[in-house]
Amino acid sequence: MKNANRALLPFLLAVCILLSACSSTAGTSANTSSNDQSSTISSQVSSESTSTPEAAESGTGSSTGATENVNSTFSSPFSLASVPAYSKSPYVEVNGNQPYFTSSELTTKAFETYSDLDSLGRCGVAYANICKELMPTEERGSIGAVKPSGWQIAKYDFVDGKYLYNRCHLIGFQLAGENANEKNLITGTRYMNVDGMLPFENMVADYVKETGNHVLYRVTPIFEGKNLVASGVLMEAESVEDKGEGILFCVYCYNVEPGVTIDYATGNNQLSADTTQVTSGSTSTATSTQQSAEQTYILNTNTHKFHYPSCSSVQDMSESNKQTFTGTRDELIAEGYSPCGRCKP
Amino acid sequence: MILIACVDDGFGMMFNHRRQSQDRVLRDHIIALTSGKQLWMNHYSAKQFDGVAGQINTDDSCLSEAAPGDYCFVEDEDVTQYEQWIEKIILYKWNRKYPSDLKFGIPLKEHGWVLSRSTDFAGSSHDKITEEVYTR
Repeated sequence: MKNANRALLPFLLAVCILLSACSSTAGTSANTSSNDQSSTISSQVSSESTSTPEAAESGTGSSTGATENVNSTFSSPFSLASVPAYSKSPYVEVNGNQPYFTSSELTTKAFETYSDLDSLGRCGVAYANICKELMPTEERGSIGAVKPSGWQIAKYDFVDGKYLYNRCHLIGFQLAGENANEKNLITGTRYMNVDGMLPFENMVADYVKETGNHVLYRVTPIFEGKNLVASGVLMEAESVEDKGEGILFCVYCYNVEPGVTIDYATGNNQLSADTTQVTSGSTSTATSTQQSAEQTYILNTNTHKFHYPSCSSVQDMSESNKQTFTGTRDELIAEGYSPCGRCKP
Repeated sequence: MILIACVDDGFGMMFNHRRQSQDRVLRDHIIALTSGKQLWMNHYSAKQFDGVAGQINTDDSCLSEAAPGDYCFVEDEDVTQYEQWIEKIILYKWNRKYPSDLKFGIPLKEHGWVLSRSTDFAGSSHDKITEEVYTR
């Protein structure tokens, strides 16, 4: 299967096409899209010719390996039509868990590429060869200034951390240290960010830290038609030195939040009809206001909790996990952090 | 037998036929823990311990072969059908959330397993690994 797919790739990658998709499939069954969208996916993907490590290396370099922005596109063999409707699991295997990389892409050279935003301001594919060289060495800063396509602030009582949407890194900060890059941030639900994508990022990060090996890693946001919010993301990864023996996956993460109906065209959202009853008594509300008071917090980058500097938990925190952050509470929550249960910041 | 397994926050063990994680400090810890005893594991796990320690007994039927008092390190097998022969369970928790499609299937509390000891230590690539010992 894998070889067969790889044999098809050169042809498929050479032609930029829009993928057909069933409007009734992934990410839209539990959460409906109200626009009269076309049945196409406009996932902008870096082209094979420019996303190769060799090309990336000639791109604009960063302090941690080659970083390149690309605006060309290629068609992935992935089809949203092949993805089952969301059903309780935050991710689903795609293509037998075999990524769509070609064998020629496996390299031990560090690179990272991010697609230019399209005319609608949407992100495209993010692609990197994750290794220790790319991993962050500096504290993570604020990403609150970035407003990904479809971004809005919405709160629900039953959502972990309250906020429906996170600024969701395509390539996680822990993997490549790319933080407030608008080409690496999409509007993603808390559920997709924490339950869908983060476990895979953790697995790759810990593998790289432990072995020192490289992991070819690609995340493609899947937008249907002209939707501003992605239906989900395709995540592919393959460890290089051991040819996938350590890390190998190809999964689709649903950009859904159980209990919330999302209009993917705009990002507008509301309680699902069947959730209203469940949450009656503690009425869930959506709000467009953002708490703007800036404050200094102490972050635990391991547990993703944030604390007041005076919190007793800070004293017990490992120095390697401790970061100082100055900004708003909303920014932290939108970045995936949760308030400490002890000091309740 | 004394069962040894590694699990994530959701008691996951494997994803796509691959271990969720590994840690060289944990390997050293297991070798030290089982010193002087038989440590059974299958070939998949033995590769992780390549060339280390004479107590390792590699057998793909290790769960069936391990005798009372022997240790058995399991990563990629459903252990539920062997529960009646397990005297003690040692779980190493990564304290991380990873994807999983194979989980540690023994419902510890429901089946009368009691946490008798819990110890944290730092791994080489994991800030905190928790060793939990269950008996009944």
